[in-house]
Amino acid sequence: MFTFDHYLCPKDLREALEMIERLPEDGKIIAGATDVVPYAREGRGGDIHFSTIVDLSRVDEFRGYEIAKGKVRLNANVVFQDFLEDDELRAHLPCMPYCAIWFADDQVREQATLAGNIANASPAADGTPPLLAMDAEVEIARLVDGEVRYRTISIDAFVHGPGKTRLEKGELICAVTCRSMKGYGGSFQKVGQRRSLVISKVSAVALVKTSADGRTFEDVRLALGGIGPVPVRLTDIEDMLKGQAITRRLIAEASVIPADRVASRSRVEYRKRVVRGFVEAAIEDALVACGAPMPTEEQREAAHA
Amino acid sequence: MARRARGRGMAASWYGIARTATIDRAGAWVEMDDGGTAKVVTGVTEIGEGILTVLAQIAAEELGVRPEDVTIGDNDTARSPEAAHAGATRQTYMIGNSVAIACRDARVKLDRELADHWQVDAGTIKAFDGEIWAEGTNKRMTVEEAIDLCKKRGVVPVGSGSFTAHGTGLDPVDGSGAPWQAYVFGCQVAEVEVDTLTGEVQVLGMWAVHDVGRAINPRGVEGQIEGGIVQGLGQALMEDYQLDKGHTTTHGFAKYILPTSLDIPQINTKLVEDRDPRSPLGAKGIGEPALVPTAPAIMNAIYDAIGVRITSLPATPEAILKALEEKEAAALQMTG
Amino acid sequence: MPDTMLNMTVNGRKVAKPINGQYRLLDFLREEVHLTGAKEGCGAGECGTCSVFVDGKLVKSCLMPTAKADGAEIQTVEGLAGRGELTALQQAFHKTGASQCGYCIPGMVMAATSALRENPYADIEEIKERLGGNICRCTGYTKIFEAVELARDVMNGRLPATALDPDGAGESYIGNNVRRLDAPSKVSGALKYAGDMVMQDMLHMQVLRSPHPHARIVSIDTSAAEALEGVECVITHKDVPGKDGFGVFVHDQPVMARDKVRYVGEAVAAVSAETHEIARRALALIKVEYEELPGVFDPEEAMQPGAVVVHDYAQDNVVKHIPIRKGDVEAGFAAADIIVENSYSTQQVEHAYLEPEAGLAYVDHDGVVTVVSPSQNITHHRHMLSTIIDKPINKVRFIMSPVGGGFGGKEDMIYQGMLALTAMKTGRPVRLVFTREESILSTAKRHPSRVTYKMGLKNDGRITAVSFRMISDGGAYGMSTEGVMRKAAILSLGPYDLANVEIDTYGIYTNNTPSGAFRTFGAMQAQFATESHLDICAEKLGLDPFEIRRRNMMKIGSLTHTQQKLETVSIAEVLETAEAFCRWETGAPTSRGATRTDLGGPDTRASCTLGARFRQIVDDKKQEVA
Repeated sequence: MFTFDHYLCPKDLREALEMIERLPEDGKIIAGATDVVPYAREGRGGDIHFSTIVDLSRVDEFRGYEIAKGKVRLNANVVFQDFLEDDELRAHLPCMPYCAIWFADDQVREQATLAGNIANASPAADGTPPLLAMDAEVEIARLVDGEVRYRTISIDAFVHGPGKTRLEKGELICAVTCRSMKGYGGSFQKVGQRRSLVISKVSAVALVKTSADGRTFEDVRLALGGIGPVPVRLTDIEDMLKGQAITRRLIAEASVIPADRVASRSRVEYRKRVVRGFVEAAIEDALVACGAPMPTEEQREAAHA
Repeated sequence: MARRARGRGMAASWYGIARTATIDRAGAWVEMDDGGTAKVVTGVTEIGEGILTVLAQIAAEELGVRPEDVTIGDNDTARSPEAAHAGATRQTYMIGNSVAIACRDARVKLDRELADHWQVDAGTIKAFDGEIWAEGTNKRMTVEEAIDLCKKRGVVPVGSGSFTAHGTGLDPVDGSGAPWQAYVFGCQVAEVEVDTLTGEVQVLGMWAVHDVGRAINPRGVEGQIEGGIVQGLGQALMEDYQLDKGHTTTHGFAKYILPTSLDIPQINTKLVEDRDPRSPLGAKGIGEPALVPTAPAIMNAIYDAIGVRITSLPATPEAILKALEEKEAAALQMTG
Repeated sequence: MPDTMLNMTVNGRKVAKPINGQYRLLDFLREEVHLTGAKEGCGAGECGTCSVFVDGKLVKSCLMPTAKADGAEIQTVEGLAGRGELTALQQAFHKTGASQCGYCIPGMVMAATSALRENPYADIEEIKERLGGNICRCTGYTKIFEAVELARDVMNGRLPATALDPDGAGESYIGNNVRRLDAPSKVSGALKYAGDMVMQDMLHMQVLRSPHPHARIVSIDTSAAEALEGVECVITHKDVPGKDGFGVFVHDQPVMARDKVRYVGEAVAAVSAETHEIARRALALIKVEYEELPGVFDPEEAMQPGAVVVHDYAQDNVVKHIPIRKGDVEAGFAAADIIVENSYSTQQVEHAYLEPEAGLAYVDHDGVVTVVSPSQNITHHRHMLSTIIDKPINKVRFIMSPVGGGFGGKEDMIYQGMLALTAMKTGRPVRLVFTREESILSTAKRHPSRVTYKMGLKNDGRITAVSFRMISDGGAYGMSTEGVMRKAAILSLGPYDLANVEIDTYGIYTNNTPSGAFRTFGAMQAQFATESHLDICAEKLGLDPFEIRRRNMMKIGSLTHTQQKLETVSIAEVLETAEAFCRWETGAPTSRGATRTDLGGPDTRASCTLGARFRQIVDDKKQEVA
């Protein structure tokens, strides 16, 4: 059960920053609240009392997104459902619909923000691997002598351990800015124990751009989640593929490598085995999203022969 | 091996109806009431299986009224006769039959008055759907009128019923005995797809054939079978209450994994109605037997698909991949 | 949070109320606005029983802080149709039999309503995805899918409204698909389960539970809890006036732990207070001194000499051993052409009914102690309670509230005693509603099992002998273990006519969460082993799975494993029907999936790949291009 004395709903960024500047140790900042409420239950955090809750969901500056100069700026209150329903976002962030459809369920997606997902920095967070692959930067605001000051930090530096981020006391995530991936094919792989409300054991994201004739990898972006304390980008594999002719064998060869990255404390063998196939499947699905035909089982088997 | 492999498996089952290895009993009271309605009183209520509707159907059929005319007074040890527990696949069999007996008892009183009024043999009186008539005559009225007539003659048409199922205890040494008087039989077939990359199993189809005795409400029976299969599927593939030295590690539904709408096979059901010869209705039951063959049918289907035999439930993705790896290692040893 | 005033519109009505300790929208709707259609199935956003619309978007109200909904327009299940009316979707749920226990149904109706609002033409795959946040434990979802597709087609005009009408009476009400009489109350959220019920001047109970699997209770000090303002009473085992002890077969469990606790989650004391929040705070003020004891957590270890003893009366930790013997097993094995041995195991399984345990107790004007709860066995419960509280049987009354799923899990009287004692001690009505975590922690599970199997067969598939031994962890208390072991033993070897059998089932005490009654009562664990084993044997003998079963099946006049002569047997018809119904391709079970030709028929579903809603968009675009 969670209880609190005061519940504050700042209307704009300055008000929000002022409130969190004064936030006591036993205060809590929330956005969608879909993580904190389940945490305050028996078997997890138990009964928790907060002196003050600051709810960011009505901060004016945090609404919506902007697309300009090859970048997509996702303000802090963009929720996962937006990636499914918004045509613009689907075009510019082609891996995100596949990520979002695996995230919890429709109702939680209406509440849960991308910014909150990365702020909680769970090793199994679904939002982080795609952001890694899209060179995302996190924009952070704080008050310095009454002035709003901003700083920007790359997503890979921002999340640095299970539940650990570079967000300091008094700071808020304002936005996450990604590279626009318009023209890429995107995909997201995830496995848990069922097909809805899935807590990820392993996830993989791929973004692929092919040459005009569809024969060469022009760009490849890959990242994995759930395989260690933090999600990882697979730049070495990306480099192996970029500029190369697209062949099943090459994809299969490249996909074997990242199993070594599995650094989880549990289910290591399982994760290694899944990762191998997942990278391959992610690339294949992204190619299909680019317009390539789905490989047949025979082609897959031949590539592994 | 192809990434996605499919296969099929089957399993058969049997089950006993009502309490085990003992005498089971249940009671009910019935009153044919004003306005052509009826009250049925018995000491147990709905746990979701549809028993109230089944009892209303039985009362409607026996009394000649419509199910919606039946009011069920249930669930209260101080106001209703003993019906004992809601379990053991005994509701339709035990309480259904006691309600049928109680209804027949009430009808004897109503029909006696009506026979006298019409000057016909009580055995010729039939009733259905709110109408009552003497066969072979043009004598006919509504059940409402019949009840009114009966009461004006000074008789309230009430009845009571008690139904017994005769089970015997087991011998303590060799276990011999007759634990039930009615048995049901079933068979289910599963069709699965195994993702050999992730170990995930999807059940794409289930075929369920169950002997339920006479089906009172076939759609309700299907609902029981579908629910039973999905519970069986949950146990087969994902559900696992875990303890670490007596402390649970699966506190809530985030850790205790249940099947969702996306994990459900197409379920195809066919009923075999082998009537019970020892009870007025001929019905038997389905609540529990529905899930007995599900898990082995799924495990047999997984074996058909990928050649690994899961003998320890649940067959999680991790368990499947581990078994596949062991199979591959064994195959390598054979060739190497 | 005393000072915050909230304004919202709920089902078209303006609501202006202070938040009075209702921290979540779900609590506010249920307790302040008195709309109990939204339920708390898990409190953690994992089940969907609490789904409501907030500004047109469906959300889980257990995850939403109340203040978040300030100024919002809320629609609950009660607000979908006019009073006494049902929407097309609710009528479709009624028609198809989509509700069983009904506890998930308000949320499910809301999710389905949202799905069809978002896409009136949603196909079945998209419907399933959009229902993906709502768990149903009874129906297997199948009739729910049917209802949503029916409603969709009526609402978008593909089917006439008459498609929602009931079937006619025909010639008999037996064998007729009469619509469930209780469905309208379930699809509309009107039905009150125990946790939805309130009484004037009602107290709220919370239970202190053991943190240890095995410990001696040295002392319990309730004084600080009793001193807390708003606390009416604290009870412990000392408050039991009669003979303490309940259980389905053996009365080995006290209402609250007596000299020792035997599993984590066992009730030790119960606080009743003016509010739920005060009762919870008071729990933390009860001081219990424990002396931890070594525990036993594995049934086979518990069977060893010298093992930790869980109950003094059972020094060998055996709750029940059921033996069955028929024929001559040694001779049977000697006559076999092959002997196949294997072992099998099944896990502990949670019932996971969507309605967590809840109950309300009061002492009426005539001094009758009355307990209202979703008990699956009010007859037996009143017997036990009458002994526990030392009152004549007609001064004890049990009322069975609508059961939001039971599956055997609500046969144990694990909390009704505490409610009765508190009502007697205070003279006030008292209510207890379990959290999901409390339900999982403290209530019985399906027995886990370990089976060793030995079967002898002739080359033609005839079984000559079977030896079957099953060990089950019964956990800390007896509950239904005895009956489960009996049923498992009787049914273990399946519907087969066997001359020589040797069956032993053992239910064993440990310091684990108790195992108890669960749909099939031991039969699924045992027959899982038999039916797996038969396929292994069929492969070895090159026999089709149906065929090996047919060669051994019971017939009229067969003697069961307990030597009962059967008067009617339908297994032959069942097998024959199933084989034809599923278009079975005959062959031995040799992992022949890759070459089968009976797969992927119209009676199967497609493999689930997520994203049905944007696959449709892609398809539409392709059509536009074409």
